[in-house]
Amino acid sequence: MSAPPYSCLVVEDSPMMRQLLVLALSRVKNLRVTEADDGVDGLRKLAGGKFDIIITDINMPIMDGLKLVKRVRTDPTHKDVPIIIITTEGSNEDRKRALELGANAYITKPIQAPQVIAKVKELLKIEA
Amino acid sequence: MSEKKGRGSRKSDRAAAAVAAELKEKRDAFLQSFFKRGAELSDELMQENRRLREQMGKIEAENTELRTQLASDRAIRDLLKKIDQLEREKARLLSTVSEQEEITGQITNRFAQVEGDLESFANLYVASFQLHLSLRLRTVLRHIKELLQQLVGARSLAVYFADEEGRRLVPIASEGVELASIATVLLHDGGDGDPVSAVIERTFLTGVPHITEGPVASVPAACIPLQIEDRVVGAIVVFGLLAQKVEFVTVDRELFKLLGAHAGATLVAAYLYTSGDGRLPAPEALRSLLG
Repeated sequence: MSAPPYSCLVVEDSPMMRQLLVLALSRVKNLRVTEADDGVDGLRKLAGGKFDIIITDINMPIMDGLKLVKRVRTDPTHKDVPIIIITTEGSNEDRKRALELGANAYITKPIQAPQVIAKVKELLKIEA
Repeated sequence: MSEKKGRGSRKSDRAAAAVAAELKEKRDAFLQSFFKRGAELSDELMQENRRLREQMGKIEAENTELRTQLASDRAIRDLLKKIDQLEREKARLLSTVSEQEEITGQITNRFAQVEGDLESFANLYVASFQLHLSLRLRTVLRHIKELLQQLVGARSLAVYFADEEGRRLVPIASEGVELASIATVLLHDGGDGDPVSAVIERTFLTGVPHITEGPVASVPAACIPLQIEDRVVGAIVVFGLLAQKVEFVTVDRELFKLLGAHAGATLVAAYLYTSGDGRLPAPEALRSLLG
């Protein structure tokens, strides 16, 4: 059996949110999901593989999501990988900052699975 | 005499010739008149024939025209019949389209409903999974808070537990607000005038959840009684929501229901397990309780 054509890295310190995201993303066909529980773990996972999309929280211990975005955008291997921020921070300044750093989408918690699925499909150019 | 006879005979011959000539003349005149009349009649007949031919031509043309018109009328009748058939077909198709649109609408609604249910089930599954994942009191409380923050969108909240006598509801954990700043709620004392305490007390005493309908503007946004079987042992209070969370939705109410029914028992179980330092009951102890 061949590997799914798309791979997604979910970086989230809350096991509950990770579980919820993995559950939601399981509804996207041909998408393999890898979990990381903070920014550093995320970078480690990125170094060990190739990813087509990254979903990350902002508030995380050790390395937050914004630092991760910054690092990814300077990494020659992953600099063009679409990044979705999923966070409780709902202010316009937070959104602006994340998008300026290079995030492609910004979704606030509590999440709605169809919204996340639609955004992933849009960024991966998967037909609905 | 014969001379006389001869003269007489010549005379009569002349007369006869004159008569004959006259007769011939009359005959010629008659014949001339006859032929003239014949020619005139022929002319008249010819003219009449021409006229009749013309008339016949006209009648034939009229006939052709009438036939054409009749054919045209038939064609129009056929066309009208066809239009009528097409109109009926159009009405049938429109009715089918309308039925299909209705079915599509029903499917879309059903799809949205299934999507909603699916999301609800996913949230409930994750909440239930995480709530019962640990029996460490600290972890259980962290999971309850996380559940309210991440899945419901609570900005500030507290978990209250009732004392043994049921006189006070004491805050045991909080998020987004300092635990020390949260007052204990005195039960059965008629209230101290604080509307938040009044809502918490009423929820605890009645066992009926308080969940704000529509946009959340007042505090607390929600207060959920924690029940173990029919006994209310505490309450979860959501003081405020994240800025982007305007109101509670169906899945939030389902999560509150789950927490109300499970969180109290989970907290008590976690307390017993943690205070027993993770020791498990001996099988004999379990059997003696069952016996």
